[in-house]
Amino acid sequence: MDPAAGTSPRRDAPPTAAESALLSELQVVLGDDGLRTSTLSRATYRRDASFLNADPLAIALPSTREQLATVLRSCRDHRVPFTPRAAGTGLAGGATPTGVDGVRPLVISVARMDRLLELDVPNRRAHVEPGMVNARLGRAVAAHGLRFAPDPASQIAATLGGNVATNAGGIHVLTYGVMSQHVLAVELMDTDGEVHLFDGRQPEQTGLDLRGVSVGGEGTLGFVVGAWLKLLPAPPAIGTLLAGFDTLEAAAATVGALVTSDRLPDAVELMDARAIALVEDYAQAGYPTDAAAVLLLEYEGLPAGVGAGVETAERLAREHGATAVVRAADADQRARIWKGRKAVAGAIAKTAPDFFLQDVVVPRSRLGEMLDAVVAIGEREDLIILTVVHAGDGNLHPFVLFDRREEGVLDRVFAAGHDIVTTALALDGTLTGEHGVGIEKRDFLSQVYTADDLAVQQAVRRAMEPSGLANPDKMLPTTVGCQEASMVPEGAWV
Amino acid sequence: MSDVTTMTTEVESIVAAVEEARGRQRQLLVRGGGSVLDRLPPTDAEELSTAQLTGVVDHRPQDLVVTVRAGTPIEELSALLAAHGQECPIEPLAGHGSTVGGRLATALAGPRQLQAGRVRDWVLRVRLVTADARVVTAGGVTVKDVTGYDLCRLATGSWGTIGVIAEVTLKLRPIPIHSAWFATERSAPRVLAELYRPAAVVTTGQRTLVHLEEHPDDIAAQAMVAGLQPADPPAWPTTARAAVDPSRLAALTSLAESTGLTYAAFEGVGVCLLDGDADALAAAGERAAELGGSLLVLDPDRGGPGWGERTEDAMGLRIRSALDPDGLLLDVRQPR
Repeated sequence: MDPAAGTSPRRDAPPTAAESALLSELQVVLGDDGLRTSTLSRATYRRDASFLNADPLAIALPSTREQLATVLRSCRDHRVPFTPRAAGTGLAGGATPTGVDGVRPLVISVARMDRLLELDVPNRRAHVEPGMVNARLGRAVAAHGLRFAPDPASQIAATLGGNVATNAGGIHVLTYGVMSQHVLAVELMDTDGEVHLFDGRQPEQTGLDLRGVSVGGEGTLGFVVGAWLKLLPAPPAIGTLLAGFDTLEAAAATVGALVTSDRLPDAVELMDARAIALVEDYAQAGYPTDAAAVLLLEYEGLPAGVGAGVETAERLAREHGATAVVRAADADQRARIWKGRKAVAGAIAKTAPDFFLQDVVVPRSRLGEMLDAVVAIGEREDLIILTVVHAGDGNLHPFVLFDRREEGVLDRVFAAGHDIVTTALALDGTLTGEHGVGIEKRDFLSQVYTADDLAVQQAVRRAMEPSGLANPDKMLPTTVGCQEASMVPEGAWV
Repeated sequence: MSDVTTMTTEVESIVAAVEEARGRQRQLLVRGGGSVLDRLPPTDAEELSTAQLTGVVDHRPQDLVVTVRAGTPIEELSALLAAHGQECPIEPLAGHGSTVGGRLATALAGPRQLQAGRVRDWVLRVRLVTADARVVTAGGVTVKDVTGYDLCRLATGSWGTIGVIAEVTLKLRPIPIHSAWFATERSAPRVLAELYRPAAVVTTGQRTLVHLEEHPDDIAAQAMVAGLQPADPPAWPTTARAAVDPSRLAALTSLAESTGLTYAAFEGVGVCLLDGDADALAAAGERAAELGGSLLVLDPDRGGPGWGERTEDAMGLRIRSALDPDGLLLDVRQPR
């Protein structure tokens, strides 16, 4: 596979008449400061945290809904597609500005729409703009004894708008659920600049749950301009446990036992030996470096239940052969244990010039098989793959490490990625648990859904966003057929 | 029940029934266990019943996932899951033989939704027969899945209008090791502030009733903190249910107080179950509408579902006409 063989939109080509007309209209609305067209600016917005990239027409940075509405109407009038962009931490190319038919899209950033519009403490909910950073909401509500549960690893940078767009997950999904469960209402702006409030604050909606469809829409259904989010009380007690195992199988079997125990942990994370070695070197989290795998477990809630949960977890871990078990004695030790998990990406950046991060899910009982398969795929392609797992959810994140200067390595990286995905599907799993489809996984959808399934998906998309301008070419396969899915679809560069 | 009812026992028979109805240009009303439909005024539409499309397709205790046919009674599913110490906390409406498909289609809220989340939060995969008789799957059997648009949410609460729900995959959890009902004279807002994530808080005329779940020592300590006394579960009014933003629930219960309605309000959820005379119920419907909510009268003798203002976003209308251009699948809530 030659990744550069895709037909990329033109680089530095002169704007067409429609593009020029659009840019001069936007200039009036946004000013020099709110519209970026330089080569350097465009280079900055070529990609998200995937390595798929493309050249945008320009970058718009509206500060208000009114400005955004004008921008969207201009796109509509001139038939220029747009790519909503939040923090750019997405891993599937959802914010990569691929165009259609050679027309470069306008990137529209939410960076300047980042306010906390309302914090309703008695009713435990917050009204936010899309550009607000996830962790900033967490800090804002902590003073009131509240928390926002979705906690993707990127939460110090990722925005709530991006979390809505991808239906983000995180470490505490096992009991708290994915982003969708924490989104009470969505305000979606269409290409006419109209805002649609999909209000799920009521317990029984009289219309369809378009809130639920908008969450995970990856910017293809319109522009998320606001959301009402559910807040939860901060837990009075937290119990954290670190357990080391001699084999991946023993760790995976412990996960199975925990999931069928009488109280679910709130977080179950698994890291393999390579991940342990890397983060210990980088973050000194206190993990047993001779272990083949560690489990990080957390119980939250009232003290007796938390205590009983930790007891059960320790017993089950030991019954499954845990060699080292550490209970966090205090908040500092807990923070240190989690520091290791959160430092994975940083530790990798220090070790390998490039990494390709996968995101697949298998039923929890197939976790051991999937972990074995990832090891075999790494050996076959002669690549270092380290794996961290939201084990309670069966959600694996294999990191394929490489150096793109090595000749031919990309072919092996993509082959490994492809095999990881097809193995997960063969185990009754799915393509993506929390990173989204974007462009990277788009053409795999035909392997999960039938043509009829996809026809309904397409019908819903067209019904909600008839103009076809909102983040085109993402989410759904362009051709429904049996062609071999590619990790680098046409229109994107590596 | 209408004169013509097609009983379906397999997905294929739903497909055949839908094709047949299309051919004769007749509308279809989907019937589950009848726990809601039997309590609405009858229609003359042909009915397609899923009540015999029953049984567990696949239960994987180790994955906390179960797949069932739509007509499976919730009580039957609950009993099977309980044998494995598991549950799916989508409560049936009190004592009326709800089916899993019916619960999904109506998505009516129960009091435990306060802590356990909504019906829609427990749905992983749905298999539907669309109005053009295609069998369509949305979602998957894993607990996390962002592969494509989240059409499970679209089907949940759609009242059968997006397609006939044939099969459902649900997320499960362990049954709480202990649970108990309590009562207190303290107000619901105070109780909600004092307790950590109670399972349910229900306001009735005289008292606040609280349902606590999980470790018995925690339950005892919480009861102490909030001054709770052991109590029986509340009696549930059955005539009507109002649904409003939970922040506006007090405006509904104060009206219920002043008009002499018997009520049980699910605090933090926004549902108020009501019993009482027709005038008072009508007033409650008006109040619910003023508050941006709705009232559903579950009594065929009271003349009409009484949903108040039905609002559907333009995007929702476009989805409906894209998926069911001829309006084959009848929305029972439509004014008749």
